[in-house]
Amino acid sequence: MSDIEKLVDTAESGTGVSRRAILQFFGIVGASTALGSAVTACAGPQSSGTTSGGGGSGTGGKLSIVLNRNLVSLDNKLNQYDAAVTVQRAVREALTRIGSDLKPQLVLAEKFELTSPTVWTVKLRGDIQYSDKSPVTVEDVETALKLYFQVKAGYVASQFPEQPTFAKVDDKTFTLTTKKPVVTLDSLMSNILITPANANKAEELREGIGSGPFTVASADSGTGTYRLVRNDNYWGEKALLDEVNVSYQEEEGARVIAITSGQADVIDTITPESATALKKKNDIELVQEPGTRLIHLFYNFRKPAGHPLTNPKVREALSYAVDHESLISSLMNGLVSSAEGVVPKTLSGFAKTGGYTFDPAKAKSMLAAEGVSNLKLTFIWEEAEFAGAARVMEALVGMLGDVGVKVTLKEIPKGGDINTWRRGEAGDWDVLGNGYGNQTGLAITNLQGQYAGTAAKEKTRDTYHGFVFPDVTTLLDQASSEPDAGKRDALLKQAQDKIWALWPAMWAWTPDNVLAKRKRVTTLELSPTNSYELSKVKVSG
Amino acid sequence: MTDAAVPSNVGRRLLRRSAAARKARYSTIKIWLGAICAGIVIIPVALARVLPLPDPVHGVLKETSLPPFSPGHLLGTDPNGRDLLSRILHGGQTSLLIGLLAIALSGVLGIAAGAAAGYFGGWVDTIVSRLLEAQLSLPLLLMLLLVVALFGPSVPVITLVIAIAQWPEPARLTRALVLVEREKPYVAAAQVLGLGRIKIIVRHIIPNILSQSLVVVFLLLAQAVLLESALSFLGAGVQRPYPTWGGIISDGRELFVTGAWWLVTIPGIAIALLVLGVNLLGDGLRDRVRRAKAVTG
Amino acid sequence: MPRYFLRRLGQTVLTAWFTVTIVFLLLRLAPGDPAANYAPPNPTSEQLAAVRQEFGLDQPILSQYLTYLGNLLQGDIGTSFQFRQPALQVVMDRLPYTITLAVAAIAVTAAVAIPLGVWMARRGNTAPELGANIATIAGQSMPDFWIGFVLLIVFAVNLQWLPSSGFNSMTAIVLPCLTIVVLQVALISRLVRREMGVNLAAPYLTIARSRGVSERRLTWGYAFANSSIPVVTALGTRFAAMLNGVVIVEVVFKWPGVGELVVDALSRRDFPLIQATVLVTVVLALLVQLLVDLLYPLIDPRVRLGQEARR
Repeated sequence: MSDIEKLVDTAESGTGVSRRAILQFFGIVGASTALGSAVTACAGPQSSGTTSGGGGSGTGGKLSIVLNRNLVSLDNKLNQYDAAVTVQRAVREALTRIGSDLKPQLVLAEKFELTSPTVWTVKLRGDIQYSDKSPVTVEDVETALKLYFQVKAGYVASQFPEQPTFAKVDDKTFTLTTKKPVVTLDSLMSNILITPANANKAEELREGIGSGPFTVASADSGTGTYRLVRNDNYWGEKALLDEVNVSYQEEEGARVIAITSGQADVIDTITPESATALKKKNDIELVQEPGTRLIHLFYNFRKPAGHPLTNPKVREALSYAVDHESLISSLMNGLVSSAEGVVPKTLSGFAKTGGYTFDPAKAKSMLAAEGVSNLKLTFIWEEAEFAGAARVMEALVGMLGDVGVKVTLKEIPKGGDINTWRRGEAGDWDVLGNGYGNQTGLAITNLQGQYAGTAAKEKTRDTYHGFVFPDVTTLLDQASSEPDAGKRDALLKQAQDKIWALWPAMWAWTPDNVLAKRKRVTTLELSPTNSYELSKVKVSG
Repeated sequence: MTDAAVPSNVGRRLLRRSAAARKARYSTIKIWLGAICAGIVIIPVALARVLPLPDPVHGVLKETSLPPFSPGHLLGTDPNGRDLLSRILHGGQTSLLIGLLAIALSGVLGIAAGAAAGYFGGWVDTIVSRLLEAQLSLPLLLMLLLVVALFGPSVPVITLVIAIAQWPEPARLTRALVLVEREKPYVAAAQVLGLGRIKIIVRHIIPNILSQSLVVVFLLLAQAVLLESALSFLGAGVQRPYPTWGGIISDGRELFVTGAWWLVTIPGIAIALLVLGVNLLGDGLRDRVRRAKAVTG
Repeated sequence: MPRYFLRRLGQTVLTAWFTVTIVFLLLRLAPGDPAANYAPPNPTSEQLAAVRQEFGLDQPILSQYLTYLGNLLQGDIGTSFQFRQPALQVVMDRLPYTITLAVAAIAVTAAVAIPLGVWMARRGNTAPELGANIATIAGQSMPDFWIGFVLLIVFAVNLQWLPSSGFNSMTAIVLPCLTIVVLQVALISRLVRREMGVNLAAPYLTIARSRGVSERRLTWGYAFANSSIPVVTALGTRFAAMLNGVVIVEVVFKWPGVGELVVDALSRRDFPLIQATVLVTVVLALLVQLLVDLLYPLIDPRVRLGQEARR
């Protein structure tokens, strides 16, 4: 035992708790650990990572990032999630990008303007080229746009209200025309990545080149590992890093181990629990930004007439039972903010409509006033839909129990079954714990997706859990074709006020985007869309 | 081993040091050690509802993630502020219930199938033996996960799944034992007396092999508890918010690396202690049963 | 002998077909919807239908099954939903990792468990043997994922001697291998001890000893040689089982083998990939078992294949 204690003493300064933990483990593991040290002794002590090498002076160096999901390809036609944007944009670029203020910024385009209510005119920059020095042409844009819409059930195309018609004006200029005004086209086009036309296909590209600051040196989509190297032919400001290694690790704990042990330099989208633990480490820094993902406990709007949940007063009353301050401080380590409206407040077009309050006495009296007693509710959510989902749901059982509501929990395992439940085809439920992402930075994208339901859409169960209120839909439709920004925001505000008064959610919140990096990584700026520009990242030492 | 039977030059001391005596003594040590290990876990679990414990399901959020030896919470709390001791003991009831039901089921199934295969031979034996072989080469854990996904995670489904995973072991042993028994004179005697074949198996053969088979079935309890925790670990556990051992560990694993070590270690110790106890007890009993067989047989 | 071989091969094909069919059915009957995993978030019914059509999931199960079998006979195992490339290729990319881990684990197990078991048999019914016995029982009493976590925290996080996950360097194999070995050593050493116990007490050994054969030769040349068939069988079976994926260990250490692949594919309902993984690993496991059987006559000249079952 004494040898082992010595080993523990020389170990890197773990916290007091983990030291104690180790000693406990050794007590239990006993024989097997003795065996363990024998075998590891043969293997010999290893210096911690393969990644901490790299050049020292000024620019250069290697960076290793570990994502939380497998990046199946460096293309986004089918799939796009927050952190993927960081890597995808390092290789391929779009006409625009969503800036840190969530407004569109120009990248490959020099000009992107609304020249009539339904026509946008775009001019490409003169100096842009791919990593093989060939120029980026308007034909490349035309092909890219066409192919994104050809992919079946593509992710990016589904964000567009309609497919814009492309028309070439001259070698650098073209127009995009829509049937109805699409006032957010400049934001939407930030998701169409441009590739040489002859190499582009109506599927996710596994290889090929782009115009971004990095090129792909090696890729293995099966294990989700990619090695990017600096594009020395980049048309803009060249990347500071020599090399970026991308891998993934779904298990949060394993990512935390990877960064504490020096195997990884950056891990993104971390949970509040890991954030708290990582805060204590000396060589690790946290970067925190308010996010754009809304998570809510959404009511089922498909309940038969007469069910208590069809009454907005009952929905409101239930929201007073949620002790969100305790949830935030105990289960989310303060890394989320309670919603103040129906969309995240970071989004452009957000209107503050009110806040959630905790008042169990009021909840009880309101429920009594509405004649509701012995209410039984079923909560559903997909396993790990959001950080600490199961813990939040289990805590809610107690909170609602305190106001006399009996809650049954149903955690739906991964595998897509949740979708059948959400469409109301698998069984009855009352409240859904669900996250709603946003890739455009615009409130209207969320509002259209969730609250613009119509009776026709409900026939095929394509509304957001049965939320169909025609006056809300009308306002949103008006807003989406209103070219004047001031008027548009006024319409959106009106719609958001109306939605809030309907109490669609028992509680809603927006988690902060939290990223952990080793201190050697500098100049990393996390944007609210939970991505960052790899080309600006620098490492030292 | 009475004094009268001892020849004069072999004293008691020498006898006590003989291999047979030592073997007997060691099996007693194993049985006692096993009983103590298992008892440390099983007795509090059985008394969970009687003991003055906080509610295992409803916690106090303010008492989030307290380490062990905090006032009022001997083993600490989880992030929801629920007492870990209470959760382990209440969870143990579910885990043990699943384990006991599963071994009862697999025991009955295995002994019946094994006895039938051994006694009847022919096509009955072929079917049972092929099934046993096939199950060996299947990716068992994956199939179990799929079955749990198919029928939903509930106590009966998980029990059934574990029973299916475990029936081969008693079946194989019973078959082997019955193959030997059926050649013995008492079976021939029973046949001459005109007893039905089922009656011979149930009334005559099975009682003779039951003790050995039951020890194997008892040892399966250890496997059942481990399998339940493995299934929970891979996400096929009993419905929330009711705890099981595997479920507690599975929930705690993301917090394990972040400092809340007790959420994984302590339920892990509970599982290991119980399984160790059952294994030691079963091992000791097996030695005894074998010896008893050797003496009478 | 060739007849025996052919019969075993036939059985292998039959078992593989049986397994794949069961998995095929279970996958389609279980709740979960591949379309929902590969359509955009918050998909419309149109988008779902498009994905189902693309994957051929809009067909009745029977016709899906016949198509699958038909393709299988032509050597086409299917295209992974997730990776959009031939499922066989994805599996083959991962298989070397599982094989490496299984070979390493079984080698270390044999190297530790056989001497330990022999030692326990020779020192049968002594206090040290009792201690070793209890230690091995303890080894098989711990949940494997729990051992994995403990090793991870101790060696990867706190001591930082070994990488926590993945396969970046050869040292990455140490922790997953160790986790498997703890359990396997317990099982195999106890088997060796049991078999050796019988042989060490056998009359032929007494006779050999009376002829002045050395203890060392008695132990290894006589008793162990006669115990080797069950030991080799057990090692072979364990190895074959590991090829089916050391699922839990691979998940804990994120070892990029087939076990981790199949659990991941299950949570995404990547049907072709799951079917391909099961098919490949089952065939491989069956072949290993067949190989072990073929080894018997080499180990023990008394054994004639195809006849040992009759007694």
